[in-house]
Amino acid sequence: MSDRLDDLERRIDELRAGVRTAMRARDGAHARVLRAELRSAERAWDALVSGEQPAKEEPPRLVTVREQVHQGLRLLGAAAQPRLIVAVSTAFFGGTISSSRLTSLRRDEERSFRSLPFGRPYYLCAALTDRLSPARGLLTLSTWPLERRVVGPLSPRVDFLTCAIAVAEQKTHDERADRLLLRMARNIPGATDGTLSPPDPGRVAEAARAELRVHADRDTRDRAELAERAAAQLGDTARLFGAATLSTIKKENAT
Amino acid sequence: MSGLKREGDHAHRLEALRGTTPQQPHDARAIAALAANPGCARRALMDGAGVDKDAAARHLGFPAPFGQSPFAITRGNVFEALVKADGCAELLRMLRELLGLTVAEVAYHDVENVGAHLRHAHTRTLIDRAARDGHDAGTLYDHPLLSLEIAGHTAYLEPDVVAFQLGGRFHIVEIKSFAVIDGQADPSAVAAAARQAAVYVLALRTLLEELGHDPLKVSHDVVLVCPENFANRPVASLVDVRRQLAVLRRQLTRMTSLDRLLEELPEDLTFDLRPDEDGRPTRPVAELGDALRRTTARYAPDCLSTCDMCFFCRDEARQEGASDLLGRQVRDELGGVASVTEALGLADGTRDPAEGQEEIARLLRNAERLRGECLA
Repeated sequence: MSDRLDDLERRIDELRAGVRTAMRARDGAHARVLRAELRSAERAWDALVSGEQPAKEEPPRLVTVREQVHQGLRLLGAAAQPRLIVAVSTAFFGGTISSSRLTSLRRDEERSFRSLPFGRPYYLCAALTDRLSPARGLLTLSTWPLERRVVGPLSPRVDFLTCAIAVAEQKTHDERADRLLLRMARNIPGATDGTLSPPDPGRVAEAARAELRVHADRDTRDRAELAERAAAQLGDTARLFGAATLSTIKKENAT
Repeated sequence: MSGLKREGDHAHRLEALRGTTPQQPHDARAIAALAANPGCARRALMDGAGVDKDAAARHLGFPAPFGQSPFAITRGNVFEALVKADGCAELLRMLRELLGLTVAEVAYHDVENVGAHLRHAHTRTLIDRAARDGHDAGTLYDHPLLSLEIAGHTAYLEPDVVAFQLGGRFHIVEIKSFAVIDGQADPSAVAAAARQAAVYVLALRTLLEELGHDPLKVSHDVVLVCPENFANRPVASLVDVRRQLAVLRRQLTRMTSLDRLLEELPEDLTFDLRPDEDGRPTRPVAELGDALRRTTARYAPDCLSTCDMCFFCRDEARQEGASDLLGRQVRDELGGVASVTEALGLADGTRDPAEGQEEIARLLRNAERLRGECLA
């Protein structure tokens, strides 16, 4: 009981700080979302402290979209598209996000970083292309080494295989997780027996590792070279969120 | 010298046909539709001059039910995203099954990374490198931007998908969201997809030729990706587009030689809509209609799915009672009989066949007799 209260109090503090930062950054939308979560956290705290049991057995999870994405990415361990992150979050963490809510996430994170650099323990940030610009539709974590956050020509495939291995190695399997694994396994040679029954996770991981070995050398080389360039040429913000392409520079100057 | 002058004249005449209306850029669908009805002079002229056919049809009071429905577009986009998800994982599986792509060939280049305005140049660079270096240059190219010269103007084309390289050859991949059920798909949808893919093949071949490579490095087999049966699972098949390519090429050469068609037209003819400052057309409708009727259309019911002008031409064909209304097959069988009343007249004998119509008149009378017997 007091553990839960401690958790909630910590959460409330975090949310309050988040609202303040968001307001300072004039990010109304983000602040509204945080405030709503703050209110529900405070309600839960009231209920707990006065000894009332909430009506439902399990109160709604007090995890922000940002945190859910973080969980998903940490599980996958490689740059991934919002669609995959959402699928993982639903399958393993009972997540409630939809991919449409992820569209503005990266921009919000960038704004927050610009107003208060390194103010948060982690940022959801961009993957970097061979031009060091942000790759379209890929999310990564700021805590990862640069090598993991850049994408060379082979990296989309390597990341997909890495994600498949991560999903296969999860111990908790329910129906949704099986479906996700089946969908991924179908696209890995030798990972399924050709039927629609849930694939054997060990076999999937093994097949993915086998294909990974084919690409690993070249991909590691490409990534190391890109990471070196990124480290040498980019400032803090650009290293996390990508260097602006010519067209975005033009757009920013126009407004 | 005189050739040059003629060409200048020609361009000048086309400009005059379009008038002050801004030029309508061609997209792959429009170019593909050219190949659908190559005999139509009205369409050839309007496209050659870059007239905005949609605006013209709207202004004439015959707006075409055109463009895809928003639901179809959303469905198409969702399916395309599914095929391309996770580094084109689904696409790679299909290509491995269909074309025997080796496991090592997975390199993926997103051309759009360079930003929209550099896409064409970047596509050129990447394709050039791929054609020169062969194996080491990459397998999938997402969001490429190709160009094709149409009647003296450059049209930019986005193979909605990927041009990729396999064993030193490029294949166009076309992702469509109509279903393949039990190995069968709607033939008209497949035909339309093949025509559209042919435009991309032609554009890519032109690009290779410009870069000094062998244009035949682009395969005439395109990879068509569709949902299988009633699920969303994509399945790929190869479609041979040689025939569509031939039609398209012939049609494009014809477009650059519109001289003959132009010579038959009066000097002052124009399809100008005279748009005002807000782009609203101000030209009297009747005047524009008359101008368009000076050119011969070749209406067929298929036009309803490919041409913006379809309702205008259908209305015209109805007023003339033309046999075109009944479809190409009937029209071809009624060779030499231009209108429905004429055909009926020949059939019931109230009209004497003109020279050369004896054969068809005999057939029509026979048909009428049989019909009479059946109904009696």
